[in-house]
Amino acid sequence: MRERTIFLLILVALALIGVGVLAAVGLDLMPTAAADRADAVDQLFRIMIGVATVIFLLVEGALVFAVLRFRVKEDDESSGPPVHDNLSLELVWTLIPAIIVVVIGVYSFRVLSAIEVTAEDEMVVEVVARQFTWEFRYPEFDNLTSSQLHLVVGQPVRFEITSEDVIHSFYIPAFRAKRDATPGQISELVVTPTELGRYPIRCAELCGAGHANMLSEAVVESESDFEAWVENISSLPDDPTEAGRFVFEKYGCGACHTLEDMGTTSTVGPDMNGIGQRAGERIEGMTAEDYIRQSLLDPSAHLVEGFADGLMPQDLDQRMSEAELEAIVQYLLNQ
Amino acid sequence: MTSETAAAERPNWRRYFAWNTDHKVIGIQYLVTTFFFFLVGGLIAMLIRFELIQPGVDLVDGTVFNRFLTNHGSTMIFLWVIPVLAGFGNYVLPLQLGAKDMAFPRLNALSYWLLLTGGLIMLGSFFVGASESGWTAYAPLSIEGPDGQSLWAVSIFILGFSSIFGAINFLVTTVTMRAEGVTLWRLPLFVWGMIATSISVVVATPVLTTALVMVALDRMAGTMFFSAAAGASPVHYQSLFWFYSHPAVYIMVLPAMGIISEVLPVFSRKPIFGYKTIAISSMAISVLGMTVWAHHMFTSGMDPRLRLPFMITSMIIAVPTGVKIFSWLATVWDGKLHLKTPMLFSLGFISMFLIGGIGGIFLAAIPIDIHVHDTYFVVGHLHMVLFGGSVFGIFAGLYYWFPKITGRMYQEWLGKVHFWLTLVGTILTYIPMHLAGLAGMPRRIVDYADEFTDLNVLASIGGFILGIAVLPFIYNVIVSWARGPAAGNNPWRALTLEWQTSSPPPEHNFEHEPRMDHGPYDFGHDLVTGTPAAAPASGD
Repeated sequence: MRERTIFLLILVALALIGVGVLAAVGLDLMPTAAADRADAVDQLFRIMIGVATVIFLLVEGALVFAVLRFRVKEDDESSGPPVHDNLSLELVWTLIPAIIVVVIGVYSFRVLSAIEVTAEDEMVVEVVARQFTWEFRYPEFDNLTSSQLHLVVGQPVRFEITSEDVIHSFYIPAFRAKRDATPGQISELVVTPTELGRYPIRCAELCGAGHANMLSEAVVESESDFEAWVENISSLPDDPTEAGRFVFEKYGCGACHTLEDMGTTSTVGPDMNGIGQRAGERIEGMTAEDYIRQSLLDPSAHLVEGFADGLMPQDLDQRMSEAELEAIVQYLLNQ
Repeated sequence: MTSETAAAERPNWRRYFAWNTDHKVIGIQYLVTTFFFFLVGGLIAMLIRFELIQPGVDLVDGTVFNRFLTNHGSTMIFLWVIPVLAGFGNYVLPLQLGAKDMAFPRLNALSYWLLLTGGLIMLGSFFVGASESGWTAYAPLSIEGPDGQSLWAVSIFILGFSSIFGAINFLVTTVTMRAEGVTLWRLPLFVWGMIATSISVVVATPVLTTALVMVALDRMAGTMFFSAAAGASPVHYQSLFWFYSHPAVYIMVLPAMGIISEVLPVFSRKPIFGYKTIAISSMAISVLGMTVWAHHMFTSGMDPRLRLPFMITSMIIAVPTGVKIFSWLATVWDGKLHLKTPMLFSLGFISMFLIGGIGGIFLAAIPIDIHVHDTYFVVGHLHMVLFGGSVFGIFAGLYYWFPKITGRMYQEWLGKVHFWLTLVGTILTYIPMHLAGLAGMPRRIVDYADEFTDLNVLASIGGFILGIAVLPFIYNVIVSWARGPAAGNNPWRALTLEWQTSSPPPEHNFEHEPRMDHGPYDFGHDLVTGTPAAAPASGD
C-alpha cells in the first residue's frame, strides 16, 4: 500500500510539473516583445506562470478531491477525527512557500537590476504629458517635437518624463515599460527597442475625461528611416492641406477632436467637422478665421457649451510657430 | 428561552429605524444598510460592463464613466465591504465572547449612524457633480475635480470615524468582556479576525483622513500640499493614501477569513486545523500589511532604491496567507463534509482567493508590475480577492448566521442557485480581465482598442451573471425572514457560544451565565447530539 501511494504521489508530482512546464512554455499571454526589457520580463513571467500553475493545480486539486471524497449524507451526524494540528506538516508548508517567494524575489530583483541599467550612448527623448496628448521632444535633434514617438532599433533611449497638469502614465506594453508622468518631477525610464514595428502607447493613470483617448504610437525604425523622419518633420509641408494635417497631427488634436479628414473620432472636445462654417456664425461680428485663431491661442475665450474648461492645452501660443498656426487655421477653415 | 418564545417576543420593526444601543439591532442595521449600498455599487458595475461590452463610447462619455468607476469603487469599499464586516462583528462578537453587549453600546450606535450619514453624503455627492478621480483620488486630478469631490472627502472623513469607533469597541469588548472559560486560545477565529482588523483600522485610518483633509484644504482653502507649482510633490499624496489603503484590503479580508474559519469546522464536523497558527497569521497579516504600501507606487517615479524593501514585504505577506489556505484544506481533509450554502461559499472563497493571492505575487514582482500596474490585470486581481474572497466570505456569513439572527431557516436550494451563479460569474468576469491587462489594456478607460473586445465581452457577460445571481439571495432573505421554518437554537450543531442561546437571542443574549468548557471547534471529541465532552483546546 505504502509503495503504491508513493508511486502515485510521484506520478502526480511529475504530471503537475509537466503541466507547469507546458503552461510556462506554451501559454502566450504577453503582447509582442519589442525591447530588451521585454525579453527579460517575459522570461521571469513564464517561470512564474509555471510555478503558479503547479501551485494552483496542487491546492485546488486537493480541495476538489476533498470535497468529492469526504462528502456525507445530510443525516450523517458523525464527526471527523479530532485532529488539531501537525507541527511537522505546518513547518513544511510554511517553509516551502517561504523558499519559493525568496527565490522569486531574488530573481525579480536581478531582472529589475538588469533592465534599469543606463547605457553609454543613450538617445534622450523628453516625454511631456498633458491632458490628453503625448508630446515627444528630441533635445539632440534641435528640440524637434512630435506627438508620435520615433525610435531607432537597437538604440538605447532614456525617456525623461513629466506632465504639465495632472499625473499621467507613459506606457508602452510591447516594451513592458511604464513610468508615471508627474507634474513638477522628471522621471526616467530606459529602454532599448529591439524589433522594428509600430507599438501602441497608452496612458495608464486616470487623468480626466480623455484618459482613454490619450494614445500614441512608438515607431521603431532603421536609422536611415529615422533620419528621414527627422528631416521631414522639421519643416512644414508646402501644400496647405498637408501643412494643416501636419500641425493637427503634431499637436495631437485628434486625441479630443473628431475630424473626418484625419480619421479621428474622439468626443472629448467639440467636433471639428464643419468648423469652417460654424466658426463664422458663433459670435456676432467675428470672422471664422479670427474665431478659430483665438480659440487656439486662448481656449477659454469661447468655450462651447457642454465642454469643460481647462481641458484644451493652454500653451499653444507658446508652442506653435506662426507658420504652424497659420497652417492649422487655414486648414480648419476648409473643414 | 426557547426560540419560539424569542420569535414571539421579536422586537418591533420600528426599532431598526431608530437610535438603539443593542448590538444585535445595530448589527442588523449595519447588515441591511450596507447590503443596500452593495446593490447601488452593483448597479453601477452593471452600467460599466454595459458600456464596456463593445469598444466605442456608447452609453456614457468619458466624464460620466469616470464618475461611475469612482463611485463604484468608493461605494463598494467604504459603504459595503468594510462596514458589512463591522456589522457581523457587531452582531456576532459579543455573543461569541459570552458578553451581553459591546463595551460601549452608545459608541456602537454612533458608529452606525455615522455610517449612514457618511453613506448618504456620498450618495448626495452624485447630484452636485460626482467625484471622478477614482476611489484613489490622486492629486492633482482630485484637487481640480467638481464639487462632489469635496463632499466625497467629507463623507469618507465621517466614515473613518465610524470605522475607528467600531474598532475600539471590538478591541475593548474582546479584552474586557469575555465570559468564564473564554480564554485567549479559545477565542473563535472570527474574533481573532476582528481583533487583527481593528488594529489596522485604528492605526491606518487616521492617515487616510489626514490625506483627504489635505486634499479638501487644497481644494477649498488655497493650501498647496500637493501642488507641483508650489514645489510640493503630488506623489506624497500617494504615500499617505496607500499607507491606509493597503491595510484597508486586509481590513476587508481578515474578518471574512475569520468567517471561513468558523464555517469550515462546523460543516466538516472536525476541529479547525492549526488554530493557533491561523490566529497568529491573522495578526501577522495585519502588522505586515502596514509595511507594503508602496507596492502601489512602483511606477510613480519613487526613489528606485526604496522599491526593493516593498517588494520583499509584499512577497513575505504571501506566507501567512498561504499557511491559512493550507490549514483550511487540512480542516476539510478527512472530515464529514456537509455542502450547505455557507460551506459552498467558504470553499469558493478558498478557490477564488487562491487565484487572487497568486496574482498578488505576480504584482509584487517589480518587473512584472511595471508592465501590469494600472491595467486590467490589477482590476481582475483586486476583484478576485475582494469579490471572490471577501464577498464570498460575506455571503458565507450571511447564510451561516441567518438562522441565528432571524430565528428562521433560509431555503437551501435557492442558496445553492445563488452560489453556483456567483462562482461561474466570478470566474467568467475576472479571469479575462487578467488576460486583458497582460495584453496591455489600461484600467479606467471608457473605450478600448479592438483587440480587447473578446475579453471584454466575456467579462461583461460574467458581470451580468453576477448581477442576476443576487436575485435569488434577495428573494430568499425576504421570504425566509417573513415565514421560513423556525431554525431552533443550533441548526448547524456548532460549538461557539452564539449557538448556545436562542435564535434570535434574548435582549441580554444569554438566559444563564454562559461559559466555555472546551475549544470553539472541538468536534470529534465526543459528539452526542452536537454536545461535545469537555476537551482541552489545542495548546492548553
